[in-house]
Amino acid sequence: MKPWILSAPLGLLLLAGCGAGEKAAEAPKEPRQLNIYIWTNYLPQDVLADFEKRTGIKTRVDTYDSNETILAKLQSGVADYDIAVPSDYMLKALISENLVRELDRSRLQGFENLDPRFLNQKFDPENRHSIPYVWGTAGIGYDTTKVAAPIDSWGALFDPRYKGRILMLDDAREAFGTVLKLQGKSLNETDPAVLRQVAEVLKKQKALVRTYNSSDFANLLTAGDVDVAHGWNGEMAEAVASSKGKLAYVVPKEGGTLWIDSVVLPTSGRNTDAAYEFLRFVLEPEIAARIVNGIHYAGANRAALPKIDEAIRNDPAIYPPQEVLDRCELLEDLGPTTELIDELWTEIKAAS
Amino acid sequence: MNGPVSAGRWSRRVLAVHTAFIYLFLWVPIGVLAVFSFNTGRQTAVWRGFTLDWYHRLLANEALLAAVRNSLLVAALTTLLATVIGTLAALALRRPETPGRGGTLALLLLPMVIPEVVLGAALLTLFGALGLRLSLTTVVIAHVVFSVSYVTLVVRARLAGLDPALEEAARDLGAGPFETFRRVTLPLIFPGVAASALLVFTLSIDDYVVTSFVAGVGSTTLPLHVYSMLRVGVTPEVNAVSTLLLAGTIVLIVAAQRLMRVSSSEGDRT
Repeated sequence: MKPWILSAPLGLLLLAGCGAGEKAAEAPKEPRQLNIYIWTNYLPQDVLADFEKRTGIKTRVDTYDSNETILAKLQSGVADYDIAVPSDYMLKALISENLVRELDRSRLQGFENLDPRFLNQKFDPENRHSIPYVWGTAGIGYDTTKVAAPIDSWGALFDPRYKGRILMLDDAREAFGTVLKLQGKSLNETDPAVLRQVAEVLKKQKALVRTYNSSDFANLLTAGDVDVAHGWNGEMAEAVASSKGKLAYVVPKEGGTLWIDSVVLPTSGRNTDAAYEFLRFVLEPEIAARIVNGIHYAGANRAALPKIDEAIRNDPAIYPPQEVLDRCELLEDLGPTTELIDELWTEIKAAS
Repeated sequence: MNGPVSAGRWSRRVLAVHTAFIYLFLWVPIGVLAVFSFNTGRQTAVWRGFTLDWYHRLLANEALLAAVRNSLLVAALTTLLATVIGTLAALALRRPETPGRGGTLALLLLPMVIPEVVLGAALLTLFGALGLRLSLTTVVIAHVVFSVSYVTLVVRARLAGLDPALEEAARDLGAGPFETFRRVTLPLIFPGVAASALLVFTLSIDDYVVTSFVAGVGSTTLPLHVYSMLRVGVTPEVNAVSTLLLAGTIVLIVAAQRLMRVSSSEGDRT
């Protein structure tokens, strides 16, 4: 019998027959619970099973498709999630709305295993609310047999030679980022005049673009529908690895986007002790390494590195070298400017 | 001389081609979906060879299977509740003595007209205000909210075509209100009730927008799960599960048609 029925008067009514023998959820004999809200494929099943076996805590995992969904859920105050994994800019919003707990560092044995490069970021200074979990980049994936020379610049996305073979992420901030980086500016530029001028460049680029797509870009590149594709590294790395050298992924020399997804404890969660046990669990180098090996995203646990499969650890699309990382920048919450960018993006998409 | 004949043949031919295209248009995407569930490649776009691997993985993918179970459970409960409530509402709205009929009908149809996003956000706010923890229950409640309108509308249309004399005759012959309903009204409106139940099941099982707002712990449905996979790429496991659901639906529809044929031929004999 699933415990959700207990907290559900309607379910209880409907399933009174089979639920009648159950005790209240607060009964001491009840196994401990942990409700995890996470991106798909972020937590291998066998790792989760080990956590349950070791701690005796029963986990329930739900998945979401966007950071905005996390925000809406946590704002309602009635979502029972003990663990959530938002991305950088959303984490900042969650903190400012008091939707996530401040962490007690004395209960986070293993915190020192984390890679300092991903700590103390602007979205959560001193990591008072979060621990970094996985990270990645945005760049260009391309078909090496269809381009004249290896691509190393965002300029390729604006190169008339690739007319009709270019894919752009259907994401305002990422698209604006390509032009801003080409012009040597920050991804987080807020000057309206600059942003308007960037929008003009993107409007002109539209004639070269085959499609705007944020969900299927690696597939379209693999299938040969496009030859130069703007995209995030996770799927690109997968496509590159299975292409036998035909495809490549690069973070352009002008610099790309860095993203970091962090683990937080929502204030509306009610199983704080179990949540801390989970945090300590994923901070363990062996566990962190198994997670990376299972999900093929770069983890933020430095002590785990030697235990990660060599093919993954040495894949520059997953673990880019330091000089590439130095060129990358986090997307920040731009506050009121977000509206202007959304407006300009709509204009770009609607332009003919 | 044979102008009209050949014109007839021509139009028939054009119609046949037209029909073929319509069926292709409807079925090719579904066929592609099913075919790619047997594809060796992880990516959905290129055919690499035949395998049953995705079906094996599907059976081991607890998250995806749980999502399917959630979807089926929610759809079944929603269908049951919405069909009963919607049918009762339609019956009540038919009686002239029901107070505030016009207003009630307008309110009942409101969930059909408001954008789903608004409905989802409103329900989430309501649940938050009530302190009702998000779970499968809140998902079922939300689905019932937007489904009842469809049931009421479909059953109302069926009731409008019902001859009141039949029910009066039943009462004249000594049947009580409940017996009249059970033996006269319900059998007559049953096709409408069944059709609306199917409609609700379909609406519920593929609803994404409202569900994404009100789903809580342990209530990720199949649409939510598939959308959440987009970030890392949809694997052919989703094709596999869709193909299985499709096959299940076809079996159910064929079974239902058989049953209806049997019961209607029995009805003819009596």
